[in-house]
Amino acid sequence: MQPHDFGYFEEGHLAGGRELRLWRRLIGFAGPYWPWVLVAVLLSFAVTGATLAIPYLVRLAVDHYIVNRTLPIADRLGGLLQMAALFAVVAFGGFGANFFQVKVLERTGQSIMQQVRQRLFRHLLRLDLAFFQDQPTGKLVTRVTNDIQNLYEMFTSVIVTVFNDALTFVGILAMLFWLNWRLALLMLCLLPLLLLHTFWFSRLARDAFRAIRTGLARINAFLQEALSGVTVLQLFGREADARAKFAAVNEEYLADTLRQIRIFGVFMPAVDLLNSLGIAGVIWFGGHEIMAGRMTIGVLVAFLSYLRLFFQPLRELSQKSSVIQSALASGERIFELLDRESAMPLAARPKTVVSVRGAISFAGVTFGYDPAKPVLREISFEVAPGETVALVGATGAGKSTVINLLERFHDPQVGAVRLDGIDLREFEPTALREQIGLIMQEVFVVPGTLRDNILLGREVEAARLAEVVEEAQLGGLVAQLPGGLDARIGEGGVGLAAGQRQLLAFARVLARDPCILVLDEATANIDSETEIMVDRAIAATMAGRTCIVIAHRLSTVRRAHRIVVLDHGRIVEQGTHQELLAQQGFYAHLHALQFNNGGGAQQAKGE
Amino acid sequence: MRGHHAGPAGSFASAPGQLRGRALQALRLLRPLLRRYRWRLTVGLAALIGVDFLQLLVPRFIKRAVDSLSAGTATNPLLARLAGAVVALALVVAGCRFVWRTLILGFSRLVERDIREWLFGHLLTLDRLFFGRHPVGATMALATNDLAAVQLAAGMGVVAAVDAVVMTIAAFCFMLYIHPLLALLTLTPMPFLALTTKVLSARVHQRFHKVQEQFSRMTEFARSTFAFIPLYKAFTQEEAQGARFGKLGEEYVRDNLRLATVQGILFPASGLVGNLSLLIVVVYGGRLTVTGAISTGDFVAFLSYLLMLTWPMMALGWVFNLFQRGVIALERINEVLAARPALPEPVATGPASLAGAIILRNLTFTYPGQGQPALREVSVEFGQGITGIVGRTGAGKSTLCQLIARLYPVADGMLLMGGRDANTLPVAALRERIAYVPQEVTVFSDTIAANIALGNPAASQEAIERVARTAAIHEEILAMPQGYQTRVGEKGVRLSGGQRQRLALARALLLDRPVLIIDDGLAAVDLETEQHIVLALREYLAGRTCLIVSHRLAPLQYADRILVFDNGRLVAAGTHAELLAQNRFYATIYAFQRMEEATGEAGHAAA
Repeated sequence: MQPHDFGYFEEGHLAGGRELRLWRRLIGFAGPYWPWVLVAVLLSFAVTGATLAIPYLVRLAVDHYIVNRTLPIADRLGGLLQMAALFAVVAFGGFGANFFQVKVLERTGQSIMQQVRQRLFRHLLRLDLAFFQDQPTGKLVTRVTNDIQNLYEMFTSVIVTVFNDALTFVGILAMLFWLNWRLALLMLCLLPLLLLHTFWFSRLARDAFRAIRTGLARINAFLQEALSGVTVLQLFGREADARAKFAAVNEEYLADTLRQIRIFGVFMPAVDLLNSLGIAGVIWFGGHEIMAGRMTIGVLVAFLSYLRLFFQPLRELSQKSSVIQSALASGERIFELLDRESAMPLAARPKTVVSVRGAISFAGVTFGYDPAKPVLREISFEVAPGETVALVGATGAGKSTVINLLERFHDPQVGAVRLDGIDLREFEPTALREQIGLIMQEVFVVPGTLRDNILLGREVEAARLAEVVEEAQLGGLVAQLPGGLDARIGEGGVGLAAGQRQLLAFARVLARDPCILVLDEATANIDSETEIMVDRAIAATMAGRTCIVIAHRLSTVRRAHRIVVLDHGRIVEQGTHQELLAQQGFYAHLHALQFNNGGGAQQAKGE
Repeated sequence: MRGHHAGPAGSFASAPGQLRGRALQALRLLRPLLRRYRWRLTVGLAALIGVDFLQLLVPRFIKRAVDSLSAGTATNPLLARLAGAVVALALVVAGCRFVWRTLILGFSRLVERDIREWLFGHLLTLDRLFFGRHPVGATMALATNDLAAVQLAAGMGVVAAVDAVVMTIAAFCFMLYIHPLLALLTLTPMPFLALTTKVLSARVHQRFHKVQEQFSRMTEFARSTFAFIPLYKAFTQEEAQGARFGKLGEEYVRDNLRLATVQGILFPASGLVGNLSLLIVVVYGGRLTVTGAISTGDFVAFLSYLLMLTWPMMALGWVFNLFQRGVIALERINEVLAARPALPEPVATGPASLAGAIILRNLTFTYPGQGQPALREVSVEFGQGITGIVGRTGAGKSTLCQLIARLYPVADGMLLMGGRDANTLPVAALRERIAYVPQEVTVFSDTIAANIALGNPAASQEAIERVARTAAIHEEILAMPQGYQTRVGEKGVRLSGGQRQRLALARALLLDRPVLIIDDGLAAVDLETEQHIVLALREYLAGRTCLIVSHRLAPLQYADRILVFDNGRLVAAGTHAELLAQNRFYATIYAFQRMEEATGEAGHAAA
């Protein structure tokens, strides 16, 4: 069935001219592996040779020994045994060659694909964030998994079998002509019919399969929707209606599959019919040749065997052409991504060493993900080293965008963001990001142990790591996990609760010890015990660093030295909590609405 | 090919134990289908068996030609007759093949359609407990992957099995007829082939499964990387993440190579065994021919029969696997078809008056598989008017709503409606009184108007617009490209969380039912709008019962009464003002309310 495709169902449509260029690039992937490809090809010669030799050996046995009445019986039997020995050697040799061919092909194909996959994945990771915002995740995932898989199918199963088949085909033809060219010519008359059949059939089959895949995708989409919303359907009493709709989709799929069965019902037996025409030709014309003394019975037997081999590949040809089509389409999509350059330019001589003071300034910054729609307008503010600034504002006010610019995920359209007075554009992006600890609401977990997840590839002394664990309030978790820091977490290991993941994020930042901390406070509901731990971890992580915090809780806002209030992309107020309250402005209004409405203030203060 | 695998889908894995009984039970599913399509099957099988026997005649014709040629008695008319017979036979065979393909393969598709429809219809009757245990993805796999395995077994499986058995017996009979001892000797390698195929196919299956698993692991890794790309970049994990992906890829390559080892033996093995049989025929058959025990024609015919046998022998192992997978898939499907909703289905006892209060009496409820009750000894009565329900996440608010909507079963005597125990009332009748707005909204791929009119497709445009106004979404719908005819869902316009929730509210309002439950269904709607909605609802709700779960307290000040839940218990009840003044817990929640929303709404108010 359909591999999991994240709902991105794509069919290949290729313009003719580009196909050649595409082939060249695809074959380029195999370049470094040419010795192995060569071995595979040589092995396929051996396999083909063995396949073709066997009917020939049978023919020799029949003509020279079995029906040759001129030799004494003992010689005939002796010769027969010799032929048999040769036969056995060829048969086992063919088997061995076939086995190694499968192995070599698999190793080569998989290595090539692993290399392409790695290249694509690493390339994608280097692209700028604007790219990722445009692309649905599922689509990118499909590129590095299913599309690569399609290429692989073509590399191994198709290219080599097509090669094998072509070789067999030519070999058989040569053999037939050598055995008896007149009969071979007659057989050749079947060829146009065969080609016509193949061509016509592969087109019909491709369309039929396409319709089936689309139909299945439709069934999947319907099921996904209906089963996710099954409660709603039940509460609204829509079961009968949903059943009727599903029946329609299902029926359509049935019609498509039945059409495919009819097409195959006509074309598959037609190959056998052609085969029988060949047999009839061999009996009639071959018999005629034997009577005229121009051919032996052994040749007739060999002809019949070769005929069977001749028709074998044709049965699978249509399937192969559809594999090639989808692989080419996948290849094109992969190249499209590989050709994509990062839209974020690097400085000519990027600064890799960053000072550790941590003074941040936004100077007249205007930025929009779509330049026509600015999200930030003329933002200017400064954060002194060691200072904590809280960003406050509604969803969409531009708080996260400030962070995105500071991490240099995007560059401002107007103005500049500076670190210690240097424009961010002059830094090497990774060197810059090393200086910033980012804690967001989501926390990723990499496959590995808790230790791997805290260190993320860094080297930290055991003593320091122990401190980090304590400061991030992870001590309890470590004590409780079997194996402590060496316990596997995430997939195949221990699952972490939302609160524990938050603490992990703090531990990561502490282990990296950056001079700047950017904190997007979690809004996830966590129990009060965890909340206390998170509070302590926040305090430990903020200590001694320049901090920019998107605050959701009053306690965090109060901890800030200064509050910057954003509204619709502009800074409307800034100052300390007390100053802003005294101003009786925007912030005071927010604060009143949130905390002073109807007598809740006492409790809030008593928190 | 890789994609064609029907792997065990998540929670539907079958235990190997008690396989027999379950398999029989699952096969019973097919009984009505066999009856429904009995003529189709009978004719199809007759055509299939016919093909097998007719095909066996071809070597007879070849034998006659060869014998007459080697005896020198052949004449042109005789050869022409024999060739003509081969062609005529081929035509009949092609016709029969078309018939069995259409009928038997068509049967498998019809079975697939019927079971799928059946399955979906049944799924619609199952409750939340079932869907809690079985994720949507796994359930979908039943209707696609598992069903595909069943279809394959019912179609190609049946064909191959019948074919193999008939061909084997018939060809073997012909061979026995020619020379019994030669026939027996020829077959000696065949059981090895069947055995090898069976053993190795199981190995292939198992290793293939590992390959698939590793593939999903890679897919999930890529997905989470792309989904959280800003975080990975912020932690400068591009290189490290690339290396991690590389490691997964290498494991994938290794798994594939292990698979290739088995496949590399399995596929050439059939060729090898076929060749060994051929060898026996050449050696021993050749000797018999030389000594004159059999004629040259017999020898050639024997070779033809042998070629016919190779495929069915190979097929036997394959068929065995196919049936095995089909039965396992059928068992999994049967497991779902056998699942019953946990809610009691009392026989409708005439139109009961369900009007009146909803009463909870010492209601305690524990989700299956969880130790802690979600609700503990809750006693409360819901009459006309708005009741607000507040509490932390996990306090039991949503559970309460879902129990009233009869999404989960309750013990007898704990839930009363219209003065009667809910367990004595038909679920459908109860649900007809309740309009429910869940937190997670399901939007179906259709127009906005159709989505609102989900429960009442005949509703007039006026009625739809009226509820849209009450739900404060009318203006936004008008602003969309095609207004109420705008398509939403998978391929249409994407609605924001707030829009979806208001759409769900409008959908519920249109039902015009006496009880309205909003299960945290306005969480994504901004504060100001939520207040408007609650005020509008007060008018709409005259004489109705309404429950609103909300984590924001401000809109609930318009409720007639507010219930405070904590840890599954009802801890306080009263009006907003009363609770603020008297209940410390309520006031604390109030104080803890997030800054985010309050600031946002105030921002809009001030703008």
